[in-house]
Amino acid sequence: MTISYVLMQNLRRNRLRTGLTLVAFALPMAIFVAAISFVVALVELSAASQKELRLAVHQKTTITNMLPEALRRKIEALDPDRQRLTAVCGMRWFGGRVPGEQNTITSLAADADTFPIVYSDTNLTDADVAEWMRERRAAVVGQAVAERYGWKVGDLRTLTSTVPPYLSLEFKIVKIVDNPTRQNFFYFRRDYLQESRKAAGSDDPLCNVFWIKCRSAEALRSLQKDIDATFAHTPDETKSEDENAFAANFIQAAGNIPGLMQAMALVVVVIIALVAGNTMMMSFRERTRELGVFKAIGFPRLRVFIIVLGESLMLALIGALLGVLPTVTMLTLFPLPRLNFGPITQLRISPVAVVGSLIIALAVGIAAGLWPAYQAMRLRTTDALRSVA
Amino acid sequence: MALPISYHWRNLFVRKTTTALTMGVVAAVVGVFAWMLGFSAALDDSLSVASDDRKLIVLKPGATAESNSAIPIEDYNRLNQLTELARTDAGSLQSPEMLVQISLPRLRDGGRTAANVAVRGVTETAFRVHTTVKIVAGRTFNPAAREVIVGRAAAAQFAGLQIGSTLNLGYSGDRGYQIVGHFSADGGPLESEIWGYLPSLLNAYNRTMYSSANLRLRDGADPKAVIGEIEGPAIQLSAQTEPAYWQEQSRNIRTYLGIANFLVAIMCIAAVFSIANTMFASVAGRTREIAMLRTIGFSGGQILTGFVIESVLLSLIGGLIGCAGTLAYLQLAGSTKDMFGSTTFTTLAFDIRLSPLIVAKALGLVTLVGIIGAAVPARRAARVQVVNALRAE
Repeated sequence: MTISYVLMQNLRRNRLRTGLTLVAFALPMAIFVAAISFVVALVELSAASQKELRLAVHQKTTITNMLPEALRRKIEALDPDRQRLTAVCGMRWFGGRVPGEQNTITSLAADADTFPIVYSDTNLTDADVAEWMRERRAAVVGQAVAERYGWKVGDLRTLTSTVPPYLSLEFKIVKIVDNPTRQNFFYFRRDYLQESRKAAGSDDPLCNVFWIKCRSAEALRSLQKDIDATFAHTPDETKSEDENAFAANFIQAAGNIPGLMQAMALVVVVIIALVAGNTMMMSFRERTRELGVFKAIGFPRLRVFIIVLGESLMLALIGALLGVLPTVTMLTLFPLPRLNFGPITQLRISPVAVVGSLIIALAVGIAAGLWPAYQAMRLRTTDALRSVA
Repeated sequence: MALPISYHWRNLFVRKTTTALTMGVVAAVVGVFAWMLGFSAALDDSLSVASDDRKLIVLKPGATAESNSAIPIEDYNRLNQLTELARTDAGSLQSPEMLVQISLPRLRDGGRTAANVAVRGVTETAFRVHTTVKIVAGRTFNPAAREVIVGRAAAAQFAGLQIGSTLNLGYSGDRGYQIVGHFSADGGPLESEIWGYLPSLLNAYNRTMYSSANLRLRDGADPKAVIGEIEGPAIQLSAQTEPAYWQEQSRNIRTYLGIANFLVAIMCIAAVFSIANTMFASVAGRTREIAMLRTIGFSGGQILTGFVIESVLLSLIGGLIGCAGTLAYLQLAGSTKDMFGSTTFTTLAFDIRLSPLIVAKALGLVTLVGIIGAAVPARRAARVQVVNALRAE
């Protein structure tokens, strides 16, 4: 009679209870793995953008107050030898919509010459860059956007801006970017926007943000200080932030979904711990006599301890698998493509989250079984045999 | 005669650990649910104020919100031909407005992140169009001075908005405006804004165009007909009623609440199973007791009701603990939250509160969870075979 045999028999004994416990364990676990996947995706994204070493410079009052495009030269002049920065890319918000659609696409006009350098994470090949420089209407589109509207490379598409003068511009898609950091963006050339604005009677070469590609984290910090100091007390006072700090403002404004997910994950862990603990207490109480019998026939204390703890672990692990496996399968088949929360465009389950969930389940299993197992180990055989369920 | 409540009450404490753990599960679920209801209610309260369908918001066609709309003065003047507007001695209730933004540090995270707060340039007329706006502290701005007033929700959530302090506004952020008052708007979205005198702000932001026009229709006017007129060839602007505008602007917040709702629903199911588990154990452990009760004359129905009552008691206590937990959380961690409108690019500030109604709703849910969780175990209890049970060991 092996321990695993005893464990399985014990779980099978009260099938109803085991079943109820497993469901009560599996459902929160399903939430947990999804919530943690979301958080992991964000952490990975922010780590990835950190590596890009980009610094955002925008007007101090708010990003919707614009800066003149000439600021780019002034920023470049701060580092004439290119010791600290590689390139500066001015950007202007376009906020285009596909005609007839409600959703505004994160569409931005970017300086054509420096865009491929500053946004090296778009992975443009030399041929892509050549096409981007040659085609005035060129657009580089994130995969999530392209998939939502069914766009392919080479397509001609029209977007209508949601900011004055509400231009409708035609774009030629030259590249679809599959990098997770650039899924939800639409970039095109700022000279094209500027010409079109001029034709519509608004000749104002302005930018919302200048993105600076820096050589190192130290260079980024020092540029951040120098730039804000240089433009302090000028009509174009600036505020510089690294990419993650810049994004954090928007994450808060979108309701802090990562915070919600973290809170949910925490609550879920509490729930499963209570559920598992409850079941283990119940089965321990009902089986006090049986454990007494084990002791009477000479099971060592440690073995009794392991039998009770093992049952708890097994229960937790099966419950976790029942929650995690269907969720992983579902989300792998249907990755919620329209989730569309800022940078996170799809809820894909990450392996880290799965492993994390199983570890949490194991920890909960141990925590839930520890007290009953300890009590089982300390049982006095005579008391146990005498006890009534 | 039914079983006395005290019987059920004491039964709960026979199995202290199990009862406590199950209450914990219920408390955790209810806690999240109550928070979500609080948020949802804060949103609804705010938007229900902005639901005056005799108020129209006029934008430039193609714009999605006041913040990205630009109406040239000559376009705005075409609105003068509307005949269905309410009038006072000072003229028709047609308010030209300008909307810009200022980035202000959030108080709740110590200024780590900043929110885009709406700054609205208005004239005297605005106070007659937006009738909910009332000064609650200080005074209104003096058009001749650089002064602004601040909505009380904004004042509570963002840094630097006390009366007496100075805000740097203007395109270059170099015009100091003094804050001279705080205003309320019945809890509506306007409370998240900063208001100043339109001509002064237009000048500060180098603007020659308005952002929007807010109109108040006269009694009995048909908003649809007026919208048709505004969007027609004579005026060529676009218009929405206030409720339609905010419905669209809160779309993303509702999605957010939808996600939270879905997660709570799943947790509720888990709580049902957890309660069922506990109640099954309770029934199994008390088979002989139940048989005794049957023998002395209690009916199967009474036993069934008894177990349901016990489960509901258990859940209600769990629910109360959960609500208390959420209350404590809101006290300690803060109850403020702000979110962008779908396309406004300006933030709406909320204060999440647990009203008695919300607590009642949460406890209602918990009662339901308790009843569903107890249904099957209680039926089993009601069907206990008296003779066999009494004979059993």
